[in-house]
Amino acid sequence: MKNAADWKALLRFLGVILMAEGSLMALCMVPAIHFADGTLWRIAACAAATLAVGGALWHTFRNDKEIHDRRMSYLLVTVLWLVLSLFATLPFLTTGSTRSVTVAWFEAMSGVTSCGATAFADVGALPASVLLWRSMTQWFGGFGVVLLVLALSPRMGINKYSLYTAEASGADNTGKTSVRTTVTVRRTLAVYLTLTAVFIILLAVSGMQIWDAVNLTFTNISSGGFSVNSDSIASLSHTQQYLLAAAMLLSGVNFTLLFMLFTFRWRLVRNKMDQLRFYLIICLLASAFVVLALHYHTGYGWNDALRLGTVQTVSALTTTGSVIGDYTQWWTPAVFLLLMLGICGGMAGSTSGGLKVMRVLILWRNARGILRNRLHPNAVDPVKLNGRPVSGHITNNVMVIFMVFGATLMLGVMVLMLCGVSPTEAIGASVGCLTGYGPGLGASGGFGSYAAFSHPAMWVCTLLMILGRLECMTVIILFLPRFWRK
Amino acid sequence: MQRFNYRLVARLTGLLTLIMAAAMAVPVGVSLYYGDGAHVGLLLAAAAMAAVGGLLHSVLGRGADYELHERESFWITSMVWMAVPLCGALPYLFTGTLHSFTDAAFESFSGFTTTGASVIPDPTAVPQGILLWRAMTQWIGGLGLILFVVALLKRLNRGALTLYSAEFSGTQQRKLHPHISTSVSRMWQIYTLLTVLLIALLIAAGNGILDSICLALSTVSTGGFMTTPLGMSGYSQPTLAILTVFMFLSGVNVALLYNLFTLKWRQLKATHEFWVYAAVFLLAAGSCAVAFGLKGNAWGASASYSLFHIASTISTCGFYTTPPPAWPFGVSVVTFVLILSGAMAGSTGGGLKLRRLMTLLLYLRNYLIRMLHPNVVFTVKIDRQVVPGVYVNKIFGFVFLYICFIIGGAFLLTLSGSGIADAFCLAAANISNLGPSPLINSLGASLDYALLPAAAKWVLMSLMLAGRLEIFALLAIVSPSYWRLRR
Repeated sequence: MKNAADWKALLRFLGVILMAEGSLMALCMVPAIHFADGTLWRIAACAAATLAVGGALWHTFRNDKEIHDRRMSYLLVTVLWLVLSLFATLPFLTTGSTRSVTVAWFEAMSGVTSCGATAFADVGALPASVLLWRSMTQWFGGFGVVLLVLALSPRMGINKYSLYTAEASGADNTGKTSVRTTVTVRRTLAVYLTLTAVFIILLAVSGMQIWDAVNLTFTNISSGGFSVNSDSIASLSHTQQYLLAAAMLLSGVNFTLLFMLFTFRWRLVRNKMDQLRFYLIICLLASAFVVLALHYHTGYGWNDALRLGTVQTVSALTTTGSVIGDYTQWWTPAVFLLLMLGICGGMAGSTSGGLKVMRVLILWRNARGILRNRLHPNAVDPVKLNGRPVSGHITNNVMVIFMVFGATLMLGVMVLMLCGVSPTEAIGASVGCLTGYGPGLGASGGFGSYAAFSHPAMWVCTLLMILGRLECMTVIILFLPRFWRK
Repeated sequence: MQRFNYRLVARLTGLLTLIMAAAMAVPVGVSLYYGDGAHVGLLLAAAAMAAVGGLLHSVLGRGADYELHERESFWITSMVWMAVPLCGALPYLFTGTLHSFTDAAFESFSGFTTTGASVIPDPTAVPQGILLWRAMTQWIGGLGLILFVVALLKRLNRGALTLYSAEFSGTQQRKLHPHISTSVSRMWQIYTLLTVLLIALLIAAGNGILDSICLALSTVSTGGFMTTPLGMSGYSQPTLAILTVFMFLSGVNVALLYNLFTLKWRQLKATHEFWVYAAVFLLAAGSCAVAFGLKGNAWGASASYSLFHIASTISTCGFYTTPPPAWPFGVSVVTFVLILSGAMAGSTGGGLKLRRLMTLLLYLRNYLIRMLHPNVVFTVKIDRQVVPGVYVNKIFGFVFLYICFIIGGAFLLTLSGSGIADAFCLAAANISNLGPSPLINSLGASLDYALLPAAAKWVLMSLMLAGRLEIFALLAIVSPSYWRLRR
C-alpha cells in the first residue's frame, strides 16, 4: 500500500464519482423551484460543495488513471460507498430535515446502498428536494452496484473467487455481455436508463403524477424502496401497484440477461435460464403461500390477498422493501417467509441484495450432491449450473460467502439486541439492513421507520447495510493485517 | 444390484428393542425397592417392548444375512433411532406419568437424543423407577445406539465400520484400534468408567444415591434431564463444581479421553481441537464472569455460575442453576454462539462441533488471503494433516444443511404458533441437543416445553433426531436417489 500513484488514482476516481453525485444533487433544485419549498439555495450550496470537492480531486490527480494494486481496488469500493454516503448527508443536514448526524448518515447510507430503511418517522413532511434526493441516491447506488459487478470485479480479480464467479468467468462465459468493459458498462447503463424511462412513462400513463412516478421508479427499479409517502405504495391504484411489482421483479433480474432479452438474443438467454427459472419458481411458490395465508388466515378477499401477497413477496425477494400493507400484522409464517426471501435475494448482477439466487442454487445443489455421494461413494457427480460443471473450488467459495453472510446476520441481531432493540425487532432490522430489504419487524417494519432506534443501533444498521451491499468480503478484507502490509 | 437387506434392518432394530426391554429390569428393581408403585407399568412396558422387539428380531428378521452396505446402514441407523425412542415412550404412558402419546414420545426422544428438554412439570412427583429410566435413555443414547450394536455384534465385521460412519458422519474419526468393534468397546469402557467415577464423587459430595445416579447418567451423556423442578439450584457448591468438571470432560472426544486414561499424553498435545475447546471454554466463562461482575454481582458467585453455565452450554448438556440477580445481555450472546458451535467432534455433545468450525475458519482465512494473492495455493491443515478439498466441501454441505434445518424447523414452529425469535431459539436449542437453557428465558420467551402445542413437539423431535444423527442418515432415507437404487 505504499504506492503513491495508486492512492492518487483512487482519489481521482472518487473525484469523478463525486462530480456525478454533485450533478444529481443539482438536479434536486428542480423540485425545489417547482414546489417552492424554500430549500433551493441550500441544495444549490450542497451541490456546489460536492462538485467542488469532486472537481478539485479530479483535477489534481487527472493524470493518474490506473490502479495497479489489487488491494487498492478493494479499498476503493468500500471508500467509495462511504464517501458517497458522506456527501449524501449534506442535503439532509442543511435543509433542516434532521439535526442529528446519525439520522442523516443512516438515511444517506440506506440510500446509496439502496437499502430503503428510513429513519424519518414522517416522510411526507420532508421538503420535495430532499425527497427527490433520497430517491436519487438509491437510483445512483443501485446502478453503482451493477457497475461494480460488471466493470470492476473482473479487474479486481474477485470474479475468480466470489460469485460473479461462476458467471463472469469459467463456468459460464456468457456472463459478460462483451469482453470489453466499456461496452459492458454502456449496455448496462442503456438497460437501466431504458427501464427507468419505460416505467416513468407507464406509471404516468396509469394516471400517476409525474413527481410520484419519477420518485417511485427511481426507488423501485434500483430495489431501494424509499417512498415519497409515509404509507409507501399502499395508497396507489391497483394497476400502479402491479406496475411497480413488475419494475421490482425486473430489477431482480441479471442486467446482462435483460440486455439479451431486450435485444432478442434468445440463444444466449437459454444459457442462463437456470438462475432465471429458479428465481421465478421461488417467486411463484412464495407468492402462492403468502396469498393463501392472507386469504385463509388473515381473512382478505381473493383480490386483495392476490395483490398484497404478490407485490409484497416480489418486494421482499428483490430486497426492494416497498410496503403495500402492514405485513407485520400478517400471519407469522408469512412474515417469516418474507424475511427468508430477503436473505435469498434476486439474481446475481442485478440491483437486488441478499445472498443472490445463484449462490442459493449452488449451495442447494452442492448439498444434494454430497448426499448422493454418501449413497454412491464412487459416483462422479459435480454441481452443475446451466448444464456446465461448477468446480468444487467455486462451490467452497460460495459456501464461505454464505457462512460469512450468516455469521454477520447473527452478529447483527446480537449487537442490535445489545443496543437495546427487542429480539424480534433485532432479527427484522438485521435482515432488513444486511440484505437491503429495508423495513424490518415491529415498529421498524411495515409502514414504520427506524426513528425510534437508539443512535448506536442506527450505526450498527449502517454498518450492516454497507457490509450487505458490498457482499461482506470486500469490507472484511480491509481488517486483515496482511492487507496493509507492504 | 443386490437386493435391499430388509431382514437385517428388522433384526438389528429388534435386537436393540429387546435390549431396551431387558434394561427395563433395572428401573423395575428400583421401583420395587422404593415401593413407588410404578413396577406394574414398567413391567407392562417391558413386555410390550419385548413383544415388538421379538417380532422384529425373530420373525421379520429371521435368517438375516449379516452383509450390509451403505444403503442398509442409513436405513438401520434411522430405523433404530425412530423405533427405539418410540418404544421408550411406553413406560411414561403405562405408569401414567404422562398422559398423551405426544408428550411421552417427546420425553423419550429428548432422552435418547440427549437433548434433555422435558415436559414433566415436577420430576420430584414422578416414580423413582421412571426417573431412572429417563436418565438411562440418555446414557444409552449418549454414545449412540448404533455404537451399542457395533460393540455387541462382532460378526458384523466390515459392515460395522459402515454403520459406525453412518451414525458418526461428517468428521474424520481416529480409531482407537484397527478393529472397529474393539475400539468401540473401548469407547464404552471409558464412558462407563467416567459414569461410575461421577456417581461415586456425587455420593461422596452428599447427594442421595438415586439422585447421584440420575445426574451422572445425564451429565456424562450431555443429556440434561434434571431431577428437581428448579433445575440445579438446590445442590451444594461442591456438587456443582464436580458437575462442571464432568460436563467439560463429556465435551471431549471419547477416543481422546481413552488416550488420556491410558496416559498417552502425546495424543492430547497433538489434538489441536482440544486446545481450541479448552480456550473457547475458558474465554467464554471468563468473559461471562466479568460481565456478571461488572453488573454488580458478587465476583465469586459470578465466576462459579459462569463456569457451570458455559460448561453446560458448550457440552450441550443443558443443566441450569439460578443465575446471579443481574443478567448481562452479553451472556445470552455468548450462550447462543456456543449452542451452535458445540464441543469436540466425537464427543457425546451436539452442535456443529469445533472441528468443523476450525476447518471453516481456516478456509475463510485462506479465502481472504487468496483475494489478495490469487495464485497462492493453500490447504487447510488440522493437527498438521491436510484436510482434502472434497472433505472441506462435505463439511460445508453439512453446515448448510444444518442451517437449513434450523430455518425450516423455525418456519414449522411459526406455523404452530411460535413467534419468530422464539422459533429460532427453540430450533437451535433442539437441533444441537441442548434442551433446557436459561438463554431462551433471557430472550423473553417462556421455556416450558409442556406448554407447546403437539405439532411443535413433533417438529422439535424431528430436529433433535436430525441433530443427533447429523442430518445425513435421516436425509438419506428420504432422498429420491436412495430409492432409485432399489430398482
